[in-house]
Amino acid sequence: MEVLREKVEEEEEAEREEAAKRAEWARTEKMMRPVEVRKEETTLTQEMLRDLEKKLSEIQIPISAELPAFTKDTIDISKLPVSYKTNTPKEEHLLQVADNFSRQYSHLCPDRVPLFLHPLNECEVPKFVSTTLRPTLMPYPELYNWDSCAQFVSDFLTMVPLPDPLKPPSHLYSSTTVLNYQKGNCFDFSTMLCSMLIGSGYDAYCVNGYGSLDLCHMDLTREVCPLTVKPKETVQKEEKVLPKKYTIRPPRDLCSRFEQEQEVKKQQEIRAQEKKQLREEEERLMEAEKAKPDALHGLRVHSWVLVLSGKREVPENFFIDAFTGQSYSTQDERFLGIESLWNHKNYWINMQDCWNCCKDLIFDLGDPVRWEYMLLGTDKSQLSLTEEDDSGINDEDDVENLGKEDEDKSFDMPHSWVEQIEISPEAFETRCPNGKKVIQYKRAKLEKWAPYLNSNGLVSRLTTYEDLECTNILEIKEWYQNREDMLELKHINKTTDLKIDYFKPGHPQALRVHSYKSMQPEMDRVIEFYETARVDGLIKREETARTMTEYYQGRPDFLSYRHANFRPRVKKLALSSAESNPRPIVKITEQFFRNPAKPAEEDVAERVFLLAEERIQLRYHCRDDHITASKREFLRRTEVDSKGNKIIMTPDMCISFEVEPMEHTKKLLYQYEAMMHLKREEKLSRHQVWESELEVLEILKLREEEEAAHTLTISIYDTKRNEKSKEYREAMERVIHEEHLRQVETQLDYLAPFLAQLPPGEKLTRWQAVRLKDECLSDFKQRLINKANLIQARFEKETQELQKKQQWYQENQVTLTPEDEDLYLSYCSQAMFRIRILEQRLNRHKELAPLKYLALEEKLYKDPRLGELQKIFA
Amino acid sequence: MNRLCDSMEPKVMDDDMLKLAVGEQGPQEEAGQLAKQEGILFKDVLSLQLDFRNILRIDNLWQFENLRKLQLDNNIIEKIEGLENLTHLVWLDLSFNNIETIEGLDTLVNLEDLSLFNNRISKIDSLDALVKLQVLSLGNNQIDNMMNIVYLRRFKCLRTLSLSGNPISEAEDYKMFICAYLPDLVYLDFRRIDDHTKELAEAKHQYSIDELKHRENLMQVRLQDERARQEELEKHKTAFVEHLNGSFLFDSMYAEDSEGNKLSYLPGVSELLEAYKDKFVIICVNIFEYGLKQQEKRKIELDTFSECVHEAIQENQEQGKRKIAQFEEKHLSSLSAIREESELPNIEKMILECSADVSELFNELMMLEMQLVEQLEETINMFERNIVDMVGLFIENVQSLMAQCRDLENHHHEKLLEISISTLEKIVKGDLDEDLPDDLRALFVDKDTIVNAVGASHDIHLLKIDNREDELVTRINSWCTRLVDKIHKDEIMRNRKRVKEINQYIDHMQSELDNLEYSDILD
Repeated sequence: MEVLREKVEEEEEAEREEAAKRAEWARTEKMMRPVEVRKEETTLTQEMLRDLEKKLSEIQIPISAELPAFTKDTIDISKLPVSYKTNTPKEEHLLQVADNFSRQYSHLCPDRVPLFLHPLNECEVPKFVSTTLRPTLMPYPELYNWDSCAQFVSDFLTMVPLPDPLKPPSHLYSSTTVLNYQKGNCFDFSTMLCSMLIGSGYDAYCVNGYGSLDLCHMDLTREVCPLTVKPKETVQKEEKVLPKKYTIRPPRDLCSRFEQEQEVKKQQEIRAQEKKQLREEEERLMEAEKAKPDALHGLRVHSWVLVLSGKREVPENFFIDAFTGQSYSTQDERFLGIESLWNHKNYWINMQDCWNCCKDLIFDLGDPVRWEYMLLGTDKSQLSLTEEDDSGINDEDDVENLGKEDEDKSFDMPHSWVEQIEISPEAFETRCPNGKKVIQYKRAKLEKWAPYLNSNGLVSRLTTYEDLECTNILEIKEWYQNREDMLELKHINKTTDLKIDYFKPGHPQALRVHSYKSMQPEMDRVIEFYETARVDGLIKREETARTMTEYYQGRPDFLSYRHANFRPRVKKLALSSAESNPRPIVKITEQFFRNPAKPAEEDVAERVFLLAEERIQLRYHCRDDHITASKREFLRRTEVDSKGNKIIMTPDMCISFEVEPMEHTKKLLYQYEAMMHLKREEKLSRHQVWESELEVLEILKLREEEEAAHTLTISIYDTKRNEKSKEYREAMERVIHEEHLRQVETQLDYLAPFLAQLPPGEKLTRWQAVRLKDECLSDFKQRLINKANLIQARFEKETQELQKKQQWYQENQVTLTPEDEDLYLSYCSQAMFRIRILEQRLNRHKELAPLKYLALEEKLYKDPRLGELQKIFA
Repeated sequence: MNRLCDSMEPKVMDDDMLKLAVGEQGPQEEAGQLAKQEGILFKDVLSLQLDFRNILRIDNLWQFENLRKLQLDNNIIEKIEGLENLTHLVWLDLSFNNIETIEGLDTLVNLEDLSLFNNRISKIDSLDALVKLQVLSLGNNQIDNMMNIVYLRRFKCLRTLSLSGNPISEAEDYKMFICAYLPDLVYLDFRRIDDHTKELAEAKHQYSIDELKHRENLMQVRLQDERARQEELEKHKTAFVEHLNGSFLFDSMYAEDSEGNKLSYLPGVSELLEAYKDKFVIICVNIFEYGLKQQEKRKIELDTFSECVHEAIQENQEQGKRKIAQFEEKHLSSLSAIREESELPNIEKMILECSADVSELFNELMMLEMQLVEQLEETINMFERNIVDMVGLFIENVQSLMAQCRDLENHHHEKLLEISISTLEKIVKGDLDEDLPDDLRALFVDKDTIVNAVGASHDIHLLKIDNREDELVTRINSWCTRLVDKIHKDEIMRNRKRVKEINQYIDHMQSELDNLEYSDILD
């Protein structure tokens, strides 16, 4: 045993050396690279770089070609902890068990491929796959559910195909490394996803199996983009109202039943034909879309995640493909077979036949016939209930097998060697590598960006194409975030050229939806508003070249609808702008909701101002128990009678129909007043229409400005991006830092130099303490004197110089130029200033020196290190 | 008061004066010309101003039914009268008059602003009907008792009050007292009451106000209780089983039965009576509960019926409205086409088409209505059958329960008779132990007397039971017939109204068309 351990130690040492060498090499390589990059940068201009970038992005990397190698050479393992580089005895033991298991398995099933049990990690150390799983609960609430978690993994990592598509990889890296480099193969993907899912409480397993070509290459071009799939309209089940006891019988149906039947038959025939045509069409399309047959079908190795029902209220088992983050049913035909699966506790081999993909598999991991487990101790999955009866018999078997599998039974999985998965908030927000990701779907392309990456706030764009080759664009949808103008989604339909902008609440003009073809005024457009944010309760404004329709809600005057018809502008005024020359209005129609405070026959439902004909039509609301509504029509032609007097009102100027004739409405006075009121209202309505036109112009202008500026908002809680708060924080930090420095200064130890002379750690005797005190004080006194002397010396020097200068001036006063004189004068004033300051300092020093001296003495008395002194005086 | 018009003769409010005032205060300019042309009816006037006219007596105002605002200030009115018909009045100004008591305002329930400034009023009362009162001006009067303020507590909407110039306003505590007793008041004597004053006042008068409030609350509670009891009884009455949920009927049987009361002093009778009462009350309660249950059932039945009928009518109306809307759309376009057409024969043809359309609409609407009438008739008949059956069943069951009551009574009667006779025998033999009251002993003279007495008591009891039963049966029957009648009548009314409406509409359309014809011919 001893010898063996030594040997192992030797080996380990050698390994360590090797690792160190490798690390060194990697470091030198790393050092080398930036130099190269810098060189490139110096030679390339900005434009060239951009050009290159463009060209590079155009190059489509063929999937079968060599991808940028993600091999151990590029991995910096120097910073990894020890557990990555060595195996604990327990792990060694586990590896032995695994080897033994593998041997038995290959003996029993010689025709099956060898097991994927302990691939090498990034440090070339064999590690058992289950220990590579590191269950971690992420601190981000978004990652608590499986769908968002899977989506995150698929976004965060870049896919690298397996080196050999027919074999599991030789290496399986830890999630730490995978996260660092943001790339990995299917095993890395599923290991990471599985770790996160187990961490958040799911019953998740990594699966080693076989997948279809599309699956293995993360090829979604034959998939329909999930964003284009319209949510199925929930068919509202019309509740069959039970006929009540006294429901009236419907009137007798007098139609011929025979004719009806014939009609139905005819229509059915037509429909059947249409259906047939449709089906043929579909079939043709399907044929075109079908993939070419894959020569390696069923042999391509893939890894994905299996989630079993039970935990976290998962109703049934399902697969998650970690590449795309999509879930599939276990019956899906893209998953062609399962070799083995594992979680952080155990490892199971599939003993069921996969001739029919995974459709017939039963995921009852407790069933030893279907699933061969490796470790006995971890009895996670029980046998299903139906076989519970013969558990007694099993127990007996166990007793018999006790001796044989003793060592297995006592053994359980060692703790994971991988560090906890850590994703920094920045990385989490950036999500995709470099913040950008492009996914190609069937007839669609989805691009994703990290927030704030694009200056216009664009976060994702979905382009839908007409054909499979993706050349003819059908429509483009762009999602935005953090825009100041609250733009959320921009929808461009390329075939009709219709653009629809969707806004979140908070736009200064309360916009909700704006659909238009051009930004020119007086064209077809629909603008919808958040009506609660508007004072006038406007919901929607539709415009065509000749009309404008507005819909209102919740107004105190119960207006619900206003429709204006325009006549084309008079030609001669065409030069002036739209503002000064509104189009002439032909007709304004206004509709009102019922005002419950008024009786129905006085509550106007609709009024039509026929401006051209000088006619006003009123229609009143209908009373609850009536089917006809009152109407009134005013002709407001002003006429002159035979005597030349103006006719104020005549009975034929108001034609009215009243459901219940009333007395007072027949009076001319009443009609006159009503007409005057309507005239005023007409003026107001015209003004309103005109104002609405102006508002449209204003909105268009504002929208153009916003589009040009596209400023982004930054939350006040976003400390990294918010410049103001950053400045403030930095200022605060600086203040704190200065404060700290000052404190350090005040805590300067005045005794330290004297204590240093004495042997350390010993208690001072009284004599020593007294001496120490005296020394300290005399030293301080000396320093004070020195300082005073220094100031004095400077003072004297300054005064001397000044005197010299003055002497010089007096001697040469006659010959001096005015400039020299100026110079002299300025020198004098400065010198005087300096002298005065020095004098003041000296005086102040003289005043303070004794105080400082006393303060130090006091301090020394109180110093705990000189406690001896106190004792005497106490 | 020194008034200019004091020396002048008092004037009478006659028709001419009112007409003049109305004319002056009515519409002006163009509208005024129209008004003059047509004349203004007094009942259309909304506001009237009759100040400085030396009016002594309010009169001739009964025609102003819709008056909202009336100003009668600066006259010499001595009595408030003649305002009974002005129920829509909101604003009444009677300031600067010689009124001594507040009266004659009991019908003015909509009054919000009342001014009695500068009169001779000494007591605030007779304002109970003015529940909407917001502004009350009583300055410069002779109110001298603070307790008048407490009367004003009943006006929940009162916000403005003026009392300056009254003897009470001299009192030191005047402002505080009012603020404390009228906490909802906002303006006193045309000045806003600040919160500080309010607080002070509240603190000062807290004790007495709390007491007052307590008393008011008690009153309130009592009123509510009374109302709740009334409602309960009302509910029982609609179920026709009022006063059957206790011993009320039994007690009433004995209330007028002097012999029965006397007989209850016989030995053993009181126990018998006790048992009898218990059984009787149980049956009564049975009837009561059954009645409530049946009432609930009838109500549900009626509700479903009216709901269904309502739905049917609504549906039918919708159809009618849709038809009319369709027609109007078409009609409008054809009318404008006619207006634009210049060829006379074409016009005539189009007008013919139009009138054909109108008559077709008429036919359609009438058909809809007829259809609805048929359907409703069927439904109503069904409902009638059901409700009559229900009532019949109820009566039958109640009668059988009442029969049980009668059986009980008979049984009791026999027992009582037995006891009486045995007692008589004892008395005759002279070996009666107990003492009997004298009036009871008077019955036991011979067998006939006692048998008659017991029989009379029995008869009274039976009569009571019969009466109760009869009352119930007649009332429910009359309810049933009334209900059915009303449903039929309503339906007939509805039908007539609808037919009238359709006819009116069609007539209007036709006349419009005719007018068009004439005007075209004239053109």
